[in-house]
Amino acid sequence: MRKMLAGLAVALLVFAAGDAFAAYPEKNIQGYIMWGAGGGTDGFARAATPIAETNLGATVILQNKTGAAGAIATTLVLSQPADGYNLLYAAENPATYRILGLSDYSFNDLEPIIIPIEGTVVICVAPETPYKTIQDLVEASKGDSKIKMGSSGIGGLPYVASAMMKSIHGSGFNFIQFDGDGPGATALMGGHIDVMPLALSTSSEYVRGGRLRALAVLRTERVPQLPDVPAITEIYPEYSKFLPWGPFYGVFVKKGTPADVVNALTDAFLKASNDERFDTFAKNSGGIKINLTGDAAKEYLAKFESTASWLVYNSGGAKKSPAEFKIPEPK
Amino acid sequence: MMNNLQYFLIPFLDWHIMGLLWGGVLAGIWVGAIPGLSGTMAVSLLISFTFSWELNNALAVMCGVFVGAVYGGAITAILLNIPGAPAAIATGMDGYPLAKKGLAGKAIGLCTTVSFFASMVGVVTLAVAAPIIANFALKFSPRDFFLLAAMGILLIGSIGGGDPVKGIMAGVVGILISMVGMDPSTGELRYTFGNLNLMAGISFVTAMIGLFGVSEALTQFRDSRAKSPKQDLTKIMPDWTTFKKYLPLALRSSAIGVFIGALPGTGGDVAALLAYDQAKRTIRHPETPFGQGALEGIVAPETANKGAIGGAFIPMLTLGIPGDAITAIMIGALFIHGLRPGPMLMIETPHLFWMIVSMLTISSVALFVLGLLSVRPFSKIIEIPKSIIMPVVIILSVIGTYAIQNSVTDVFYMIGFGALGYFMRLYGYPTGPMVLGIILGPLLDSNYRRAMQGAENEIAQFIAGFFTSPISLFLTLAIAFMLFSQTKTYRKLRGID
Repeated sequence: MRKMLAGLAVALLVFAAGDAFAAYPEKNIQGYIMWGAGGGTDGFARAATPIAETNLGATVILQNKTGAAGAIATTLVLSQPADGYNLLYAAENPATYRILGLSDYSFNDLEPIIIPIEGTVVICVAPETPYKTIQDLVEASKGDSKIKMGSSGIGGLPYVASAMMKSIHGSGFNFIQFDGDGPGATALMGGHIDVMPLALSTSSEYVRGGRLRALAVLRTERVPQLPDVPAITEIYPEYSKFLPWGPFYGVFVKKGTPADVVNALTDAFLKASNDERFDTFAKNSGGIKINLTGDAAKEYLAKFESTASWLVYNSGGAKKSPAEFKIPEPK
Repeated sequence: MMNNLQYFLIPFLDWHIMGLLWGGVLAGIWVGAIPGLSGTMAVSLLISFTFSWELNNALAVMCGVFVGAVYGGAITAILLNIPGAPAAIATGMDGYPLAKKGLAGKAIGLCTTVSFFASMVGVVTLAVAAPIIANFALKFSPRDFFLLAAMGILLIGSIGGGDPVKGIMAGVVGILISMVGMDPSTGELRYTFGNLNLMAGISFVTAMIGLFGVSEALTQFRDSRAKSPKQDLTKIMPDWTTFKKYLPLALRSSAIGVFIGALPGTGGDVAALLAYDQAKRTIRHPETPFGQGALEGIVAPETANKGAIGGAFIPMLTLGIPGDAITAIMIGALFIHGLRPGPMLMIETPHLFWMIVSMLTISSVALFVLGLLSVRPFSKIIEIPKSIIMPVVIILSVIGTYAIQNSVTDVFYMIGFGALGYFMRLYGYPTGPMVLGIILGPLLDSNYRRAMQGAENEIAQFIAGFFTSPISLFLTLAIAFMLFSQTKTYRKLRGID
């Protein structure tokens, strides 16, 4: 009897110890994608996650939580405990939430797990529009033009790209709001809008298929996916002061998540990002692998925040000055 | 051509794919039938599950589940008046009265037969006319989506039943509920009262489970002693004359389904509702009036939502644009399997197109066979005493709601909607229009804003758009006709009283 009791005690002890040291993850993880299905963020999330899942040994349940330039998904993740069970699949948007008055949150409230891919913005027009070159578009858009530009909200990628055009050429557009890149590209193909700066990941196949015309890539050199499309600096060298700038996709958790959890996630996603299948995805979808983690990722985010915030502020789209949040001006 | 035929035949000759398709359909029927579990949820889980599989096998099980789940939604709608999926909302309105008369077997039998027919219409259209339809669907502007949503709102009259004023009130409250959260255009907060949970909005599936599932269960508890009707299961398969009688309606509704399915952003749920309304307006003398067990009321929505399956694949395979929620997920699956969905997909990988056409064909056949085989066991469900089946429904509703996004908040919303729905029914307010409002509200809201922005916020230019674009003009006239057909003048003209 005593033997049995002792055995039971040992069993209980082992059980209790096992519980205390229970390794993360011990239950399903929620993944919130801040943009809609079919867009760049969505594609990245759905390509990386299944590989990361096997590395983590847990299921990540992905869902699109769209709206308000991703502020809904960001707020949702930040309203959950900092335990690593709620991942945010984000694009660059949180960098401008504060100055836009969308939310009091920014990347400072998030802990980067990984920023694997940097994208490129391509200025695309509908094939039936008269704009054959970027110069055509620039000339036509000067002043307060009525050219319909698809937007994903103030502070979104198309908005910031148009802010560059406004700052350099004095371009003005009539913005029409969509739920993200995917729906915007659909409307552009249908000719319901005239122009939309789109992520390369969303647009490269449509350009290749002749459904959209690409006028320029917002980079200092051409991209291999669209070798015939000029880099914007070939025509307008003034853009180089804003570049490199581009969309990026990353996985984030709430700040304050325990370091071992962050490390476990970073490991899993870094391995996923280096997986051959993810490479194919990145290449097909027009991403450039940067694989930033930890401090390097934080530095990258701070730099991006500075460029984007001041561009939006100077183009008149911001509700608050970046200076209020001590965001330094870009040099 | 020979090559295409070869690709088409691969799944027929591969026992592995064949098994996955049949298994997928069977699983899909159950997923669809259980309130709260949906095809969208199942397919998104399958993405991760099938990640390491070969692409063809992964696609096979997804196609099977898709087709099965759309069909399964009708089973619970007919037997328990609880639509298992959004696409079956309209089906219960006539299906359940039939079941109460002991004709569930006949209803499900007809539903299965026309479902097979409609699903094949969708597949054949996909095979022969995909590029043409996809290009036409692209021409739908935000203004046209706004008109389509407005047309949907007019359905409140058809699905309300009884007092139209109460139906309209429920519909308006539904639209208001759909506005909760952040404004899709400016990010301003609406009806959130500073509450974080409300910022994300209220999902219509949560509302649907509460308003249809739990509130129906609670209502049936009130007369739980009522004897369940004895079901007549002697004749399940409709004979040729019956089938022929409903063929024109089935064809019309399938066509509506294919097209609504092909439009980016609208799927089987909207298609089924529009088709039900169309049937109600065009068929003047059904054997039984609509709402009391008209077979037309099953044929129209069930053919539309099956047609929408093939329809949803049209823009997905030709342009890389999702036609509905499930094809959006499947595009993701193609991406992660190393393909590049887009306009070149069909040109560079024609085998993929023909394989999917073939998989959908097999799934349709599987649906027909498995559907007919399960009529008898399913019909037994209705003979189970209410005091046993209804608690099961409530439990499944809770599990299903939680499973959507593992959120307890959603479960509370769902229970709240259940209670609301119960009292609405008690006082004669229909719940259908409220769900309709929640589904169509966002479509109406964001497309109105886009259309206005496109018209430079000038009302004159906005209104002119309704008459200058051919598609808008057609939709405007259709809405005008729908309104006119309700007036006394029209009824006099057509000699209806």
